Amino acid sequence: MDALSRIPQLLVYGVISGSILALGGIGVSLTYSILGFSNFAHGDIMALGAYLALGLLALFTGLGLSNTPFGPLSFGFSFTLSFALALGLTALAAVLIDRILYKRLRHATSVILMIASIGVALGLRNVLQFCWGPQPQYYIEKIQLAIAVPGLGVRIKPDEVFIILVAVIVVTFVHYFLRHTKMGKAMRAAADNMALARVSGINTERVILWTWVIGGALAATAGILAGIENKFITPELGWQMLLSVFAAVILGGLGNPYGAILGGIVIGVSEEVSTAFIPTGYKPAVAFVIMILMLLIKPTGLLGRRR
Amino acid sequence: MSLLKVEDVTGGYGDMEVLHEVSLELHSEEVVTVIGPNGAGKSTLMKMIFGLLKPTTGDVFFAGEKITGLSPDRIVRRGMAYVPQVENVFPSLTVQENLEMGAFILADDFSQRTEEVYELFPILKGRRKQRVGKMSGGERQMVAMGRALMLDPHLLLLDEPSAALAPNLAALVFDRITAINRTGVAILIVEQNAKESLKLSSRGYVLASGRNRFEDTGEHLLANKDIGELYLGA
Amino acid sequence: MELFVGVINYLVFFAITAGTYGILALGLNLQWGLTGLFNIGIAGFYALGAYASALVCGPLPSAWDSRVFGGFGMPFPVGLLAAAVVCGVVALLIGIPTLRLKADYLGIATIGIAETIRLVLKNESWLTNGVWGLQQIPSPLYDPIHKGVGALLRGHADWPSWAHDLTSQAYNWFYLILVLCALLSLYFIMQRLTSSPWGRVARAIREDESAAAMCGKNTFSFRLQSLVLGAMMMGIGGSLYAHYARFVSPSSFEPLYGTFLIWVMLVLGGSGSNKGAIWGSFVVWGIWAGTDFLTRYFPVTATQAASLRIIVVAVLLELVLVWRPQGLFRRGPSH
Repeated sequence: MDALSRIPQLLVYGVISGSILALGGIGVSLTYSILGFSNFAHGDIMALGAYLALGLLALFTGLGLSNTPFGPLSFGFSFTLSFALALGLTALAAVLIDRILYKRLRHATSVILMIASIGVALGLRNVLQFCWGPQPQYYIEKIQLAIAVPGLGVRIKPDEVFIILVAVIVVTFVHYFLRHTKMGKAMRAAADNMALARVSGINTERVILWTWVIGGALAATAGILAGIENKFITPELGWQMLLSVFAAVILGGLGNPYGAILGGIVIGVSEEVSTAFIPTGYKPAVAFVIMILMLLIKPTGLLGRRR
Repeated sequence: MSLLKVEDVTGGYGDMEVLHEVSLELHSEEVVTVIGPNGAGKSTLMKMIFGLLKPTTGDVFFAGEKITGLSPDRIVRRGMAYVPQVENVFPSLTVQENLEMGAFILADDFSQRTEEVYELFPILKGRRKQRVGKMSGGERQMVAMGRALMLDPHLLLLDEPSAALAPNLAALVFDRITAINRTGVAILIVEQNAKESLKLSSRGYVLASGRNRFEDTGEHLLANKDIGELYLGA
Repeated sequence: MELFVGVINYLVFFAITAGTYGILALGLNLQWGLTGLFNIGIAGFYALGAYASALVCGPLPSAWDSRVFGGFGMPFPVGLLAAAVVCGVVALLIGIPTLRLKADYLGIATIGIAETIRLVLKNESWLTNGVWGLQQIPSPLYDPIHKGVGALLRGHADWPSWAHDLTSQAYNWFYLILVLCALLSLYFIMQRLTSSPWGRVARAIREDESAAAMCGKNTFSFRLQSLVLGAMMMGIGGSLYAHYARFVSPSSFEPLYGTFLIWVMLVLGGSGSNKGAIWGSFVVWGIWAGTDFLTRYFPVTATQAASLRIIVVAVLLELVLVWRPQGLFRRGPSH
């Protein structure tokens, strides 16, 4: 029973990749609930974040900033700084894309918006490819050793612990923001009923701005963490993850950020555990099959959806 | 001087003309009801007053100033509030949060105003943290009105406030409307349930096929047998 | 004169590809333009049709192939039919569970389906030869025409070289005629379909499905028929591609060519219009080919040039969506 014995380790991998999917999925759910369409460019915004971090890292390294690793992690100060700045830049990019394009299509049908987002996806991806080329790029060259977790019979790398921690912290922030801040509540209100929000005097364009800021920052986080996990990034990163992200979102309930978190973990774990039983080449299909099953059985998702 | 003056407003949705030269007037602290059969254009009129629709011709004046064509968020700041007929609350937010959304544009502390609104709707006092989506129709209608009152408007527009409510809940809603009016807010109501609404209105308008048909005091309209037959359904 | 012939030969090649894409665009117009089905998985049907036709018509597996299936050596029309049938059947199987879904969901589902098809083509080497693809796909009437042209040229060795260049491309002319015949036939079929009672119901479903259902129409059945017919057309396009290129592999059907470009073609031409679908495919393919020439003069690498061209098409799509969403060749209001 070799397959079964691998499952605990695959569960660990699943939680790691699931955390990344969850971060990507929250952004998709927020965009869907407030702007009314599924953003097919979200994956490529994740890739944009990853590449911006790469570029900033190169810049800071060139400027002489040190990247001596913090403790057992494989990166140091300049990478952390690049990470933080990349979040801001990606959020800015998301807002700019909205101002240039989606804002002019506010009253268009959701299908037109989706087609437009497919155009953005391909445009972004090829801008990245134009600037950095199609070959894989690395944040860190060294390979990190996994440490055995005492008692559980699994191994995990310090970087991977970092990934999970970051995901938990970010999700907590988002939760706090949505529940306890004025803008967060306004976003939830707009997700419930955009027309009523307007009628109440809420500045809906500002709500939309914040949606892109948060969505962009979350996407960048997911992209960079994916880069840390996979060790390298390519311009195709976003498209490769898109289907799994959408599957997570639909599984949890399209439009429900908490559903995206649950869905992310479930999809992540399912994809990894499936490799014990079916060829790895079919891993993306696992997410797809789960999604289809969900759509057939309970289209509103595990936690229900908005709109 | 009237608080609200609608002058010969014509228009509708796209090419479809729903209203033809409709006029209406409302004074401070008055309660006015617009009644008429289905499809008469009552809701359309209200949307035009609040800026959700633009009239093709005609004007709307509020507190002496022309507000024709202004967007709703500008009109809200001038002291008018609107409660739509359906989907008039934020279901996944709590009662407290719904009220907070009503006061979104206020920068200062509005906790006193919040308490005043809870005084108007005592039923909601014990339910601040309850999600509105899980509440009954009557309670939701109170939250909807409460949300609109948070900015202390001079004029409140209510689109069919008792629609889809059982008679006892509708009576409760009308009772609250009277209470709101007593605090000095003028109210314009559009209603199918004409009888109850006219009882608490000083004046009323009858609209049919997008045109003014009658205008009189609430009492006279109630007593008028022709109108009773044609327009005052149960 | 040489240059002129060179241009003509290029235009023939251009028109073959544009015409093939035109067939795909017509299929999408049936699904999306007429019936409102948001299909982002065109590449999947395109690939299926190409592979089905290739396996049915192609040679038996060679000693180097990992595949064990196929190679029935059937004539071209059988391949064409096989492509249409396979795509139709797969569309039927896919449509039954997914067609009740709302546009957002259907779109994502179709991406997933196209991805799954691509994964199967890549992984099931016993069937498809995996990443190495299928080679030596026979082109219809290839040998007879080439022999005839060869004989003609040998008999007229005194002809100027431009005449040689022109005549030696005769097979491409034949293939162009083949593609144009297919395109025009399908165009006329689509025109008849659009103006028929069937077409009216499909359009009604697109505008307002619940209203159409209330009139007693089985909306699900209509949408399924539309999906299947559109997919069959895409399969035919795939077959025509395979027999021209004479080689297919999973990477020939990147979502870009197979799906995105077709959408841009239809949006630009005017979704809902069959004429628009065809015009759009020629215009967009023209822009695509044109940017190929232009970027040769830029100081960029080959992959960078490819990226630039995609960015140009993406920007074009956004410009059309914002400024003329009803498309360039369509009269009347937009969808």
